[in-house]
Amino acid sequence: MIDILAQEAVIPRQAVAESDRAVAFEAAVREHQAMVFSVGYHFLQDRSLAEEIAQEVFLDLYRHWNEIQSKEHRLYWLRKVASRRCIDQTRRRKLRNHVSLEDAPEPFTFMPATDPLLKRFIEQLLQKLTETPRMIVILRYQEGLEPSEIADLLDMPVATVKSHLQRSLALLRRKLSFATREGTS
Amino acid sequence: MTEFEDQLRRALARKEPSADFAARVVARASGTKRPIAWPNWRAWAAAGIAASLCLGGLGLEMEHRQRTREQGEAARAQLIQAMHITSSKLQKIQKKVRGAL
Repeated sequence: MIDILAQEAVIPRQAVAESDRAVAFEAAVREHQAMVFSVGYHFLQDRSLAEEIAQEVFLDLYRHWNEIQSKEHRLYWLRKVASRRCIDQTRRRKLRNHVSLEDAPEPFTFMPATDPLLKRFIEQLLQKLTETPRMIVILRYQEGLEPSEIADLLDMPVATVKSHLQRSLALLRRKLSFATREGTS
Repeated sequence: MTEFEDQLRRALARKEPSADFAARVVARASGTKRPIAWPNWRAWAAAGIAASLCLGGLGLEMEHRQRTREQGEAARAQLIQAMHITSSKLQKIQKKVRGAL
């Protein structure tokens, strides 16, 4: 009898805990979905694939829910897992035949300096970077992270992050200035 | 911040996924295996350690008993042998005493 009463007392508590977790999880998804999705979208330039990866990242978060210690830890964890998944995905599937930015031809049509077209052009240029430099640029300019934070997320020395960043920016700037200069002249 | 970096920041502004994205994720999560709570792991680990300690203690106790039994048997054999020796010596002495009389 006592056992039955005890069981009845325990089951609702578990159900409540489960329900609380589901509510908290949904709130976390809504809070961070733009960040996780955008990392994937800017990295892959494919909406459906970016959504697929973002879903996997959040399901991973759900599986590791009990290990997350704070809101800051959750944000750090999501950025780290999203970055890794994007890089792994590209390397595994060999989504495209990579052409390095150095080898990429100059744009055939010159870009007017209007914002939407410029944005699109920058996105296209980003795709020419190899995986790690591309993710570094995204984390720096989408997420506004410092090189030390990016180094921590991607498990690499800060000096390597800075060097990737400088090199990528120089290449992007050169390609972009060529396009806009020729476009306006 | 240079103008170029500003352009990069604008181009890489966050974008929203589909409107039903969160609902789809939550639906998929509700179908996945529930996360395992730490207390369960701890309970299982404690039970495992306790069982190991019990088995270890039982093994040591059995080994101790076996050793004690072997020592007892060896002592018994030595005592019997000593009694045999004593008995044979007493018989020899008895014979000598009888011969002398």
